[in-house]
Amino acid sequence: MLRKLIVGLLGLLLGTVALAANEPVTIDFWHAMSSGHQPNLQKLVDDFMAEYPYIMVNLTYQGSYSALQGKINAAVAAGNLPTIAQVYENWVTPIQSLLYPIGPHMTAEEIADIIDGLVPSNTYNGVLTTVPFNKSIMVLYYNADLIPNPPTTWGEFYDLAKALTVDLDGDGRIDRYGTALRPAANPEQFLVFLNQAGGSILNDDWTAVTLCEEPGITAVEFCGRLIPYTFVTSEYISDHMGKVAMFIDTSAGYNYNKTGATNAGYTLGVAMLPAGPVNRSSMIQGTNLAVFNTPNQTQAQKDAAVLLARFLLRPENTAYWAMKSGYQPVTKSAYQLPAWKEFVAANPYQQAMSDQMLVGFSQILHPNYGDMRTVLSTKFDEIMRGAVSPLDGLRAMCEEIEALLEY
Amino acid sequence: MAVGCAIMLLPFFWMVTTSLKTEAGAMRMPPQWIPPEPQWENYVVAWNMAPFGRYFFNSFFIAIMCTIGEVITTILAAYAFAKMRFIGKEVLFAIFLGTLMIPGEMLLVPNYVTLTRLGWLDRYEGLIIPWIVSVFGIFLLRQFFRSIPDELWDAARIDGCSRLRYLWRVIVPLSKPAILTVALFKFLGSWNSFQWVLLMTNTESMRTVPVGLMTFSSDIGTAYHLLMAASVMAIVPILILFFFTQKQFIQGVARTGIK
Repeated sequence: MLRKLIVGLLGLLLGTVALAANEPVTIDFWHAMSSGHQPNLQKLVDDFMAEYPYIMVNLTYQGSYSALQGKINAAVAAGNLPTIAQVYENWVTPIQSLLYPIGPHMTAEEIADIIDGLVPSNTYNGVLTTVPFNKSIMVLYYNADLIPNPPTTWGEFYDLAKALTVDLDGDGRIDRYGTALRPAANPEQFLVFLNQAGGSILNDDWTAVTLCEEPGITAVEFCGRLIPYTFVTSEYISDHMGKVAMFIDTSAGYNYNKTGATNAGYTLGVAMLPAGPVNRSSMIQGTNLAVFNTPNQTQAQKDAAVLLARFLLRPENTAYWAMKSGYQPVTKSAYQLPAWKEFVAANPYQQAMSDQMLVGFSQILHPNYGDMRTVLSTKFDEIMRGAVSPLDGLRAMCEEIEALLEY
Repeated sequence: MAVGCAIMLLPFFWMVTTSLKTEAGAMRMPPQWIPPEPQWENYVVAWNMAPFGRYFFNSFFIAIMCTIGEVITTILAAYAFAKMRFIGKEVLFAIFLGTLMIPGEMLLVPNYVTLTRLGWLDRYEGLIIPWIVSVFGIFLLRQFFRSIPDELWDAARIDGCSRLRYLWRVIVPLSKPAILTVALFKFLGSWNSFQWVLLMTNTESMRTVPVGLMTFSSDIGTAYHLLMAASVMAIVPILILFFFTQKQFIQGVARTGIK
């Protein structure tokens, strides 16, 4: 009798738990993936909802990244943040207390599978809080008709840039530059040189600016030597492909660069970046996924959002997203999937992007990084346009970043 | 004059021709002015990439409601400031004008917070009601109303006419060009409104054409050929409206001294 009662009670308890576990829950997922990517993201979300039929995901396109950022800022003020959103690191570093850490709800294997270079930029106070989502890496694009063997070192890059800068019609103006940079729009190009020289903006505990130490000087002097052979613009280089022999740009821009190269009448090549004095790394860009821990989100919603984030990290899903979107897989095991290997075999340019991704680094999580980035872009632009000498520009960067250390 | 006209028309020409180019053709440098093979299907592709039917309905509905609302509030307020006597009128009007100095961006978040608390997020109320009053419109109509002789009111009053009846029967008919100008400015502003609609909406079914145009841009580039096809579609209603109201619009602007 007692046994029957216990079994009955256990059955009731399990039934209640099962019912509670299947309580319908709706979550809002804000993103900035425009129409080209949206059907693929929707497909992944549909797959997720098929696997977890009690979870309804409202996938909402919020416009460009800046529009999404503005919307998140307004939602912070109004207290109506979504359950989960695409975010850049510097958007959420000032509102860390509003984040619901995803890492503690993941298995050790899942965390270990994330590409090493992506872990620091998603870790707050030692806890994996956000997770990487759409990531791209800067690689070297080049005119394969002019450059049979892309440069593998800074020295080769410089020599080639110099040799390929030419005034074709003899009118005294350069018709083709060896390389191109977008310093105002993409100061990360300078951070790549800095990292490859072994440097960083700040020391590990963010108490001092290390940008002006030896690696910073090496990086800025290299940029300075490139000035005569560099087409400096704020526009997309894909709009000026005929003017440039090789350039550093995001892997996500491949399709636009390919169209630009076709228009300019040459074959586009993609290679890993040339190695600097210390390493051959490159900067990983793109957004992460953050789950928000605000009063308007119930525990069930936060749990559902964590499940979605983990679902999108699965090797087959991050690989699918990468194959369809042009971004890169964010987990190591995704690169070992037969489907990904077949994709790379069919699209050889992807090999360089994959190789580069595995040795990538991410931006620092300092709460004032957004302002530091503004300083970098302004000064790097002045340096590359010849408005200030490389060393003076570097010193000015350090002084202004020094003032931003406090937060 | 012809040169000026050509310069003004050039962006429109570029927009229309780009809408008929291939993706590669749209990015070609130097630009290809006339596409060798017009890609009419760009319009179909652009239309199908987002629910533009719904976007157009919303744009029309919101623009029309905002316009009606603003015309009503503006006429009433402008009449009060132009023709009625009450304590603090000039000070109040100066404060009204002073609000024009506040950048709209500054008010974006506070207004968003307020309307969210009212529960108007993702609702037509949030997209219409905050925009049915315009200080600029009040100023414009006030200037126009002031040019109407007070003797008309004296005569109407002798005949037993109330202020409201006088306003609708005498002032409004006499001020048609100025009111149409206010209406057209509002319709254009509302039709082109982007930031506010984006901020206040979370569902596709509430969004408008300008927000829909973002569909063709991303952080790494823009599908110019499709964006221009959608832009041509978006601009057609405005062109039609301007075509039919051009005479009154120019008259209204000229008579109120707005440049």
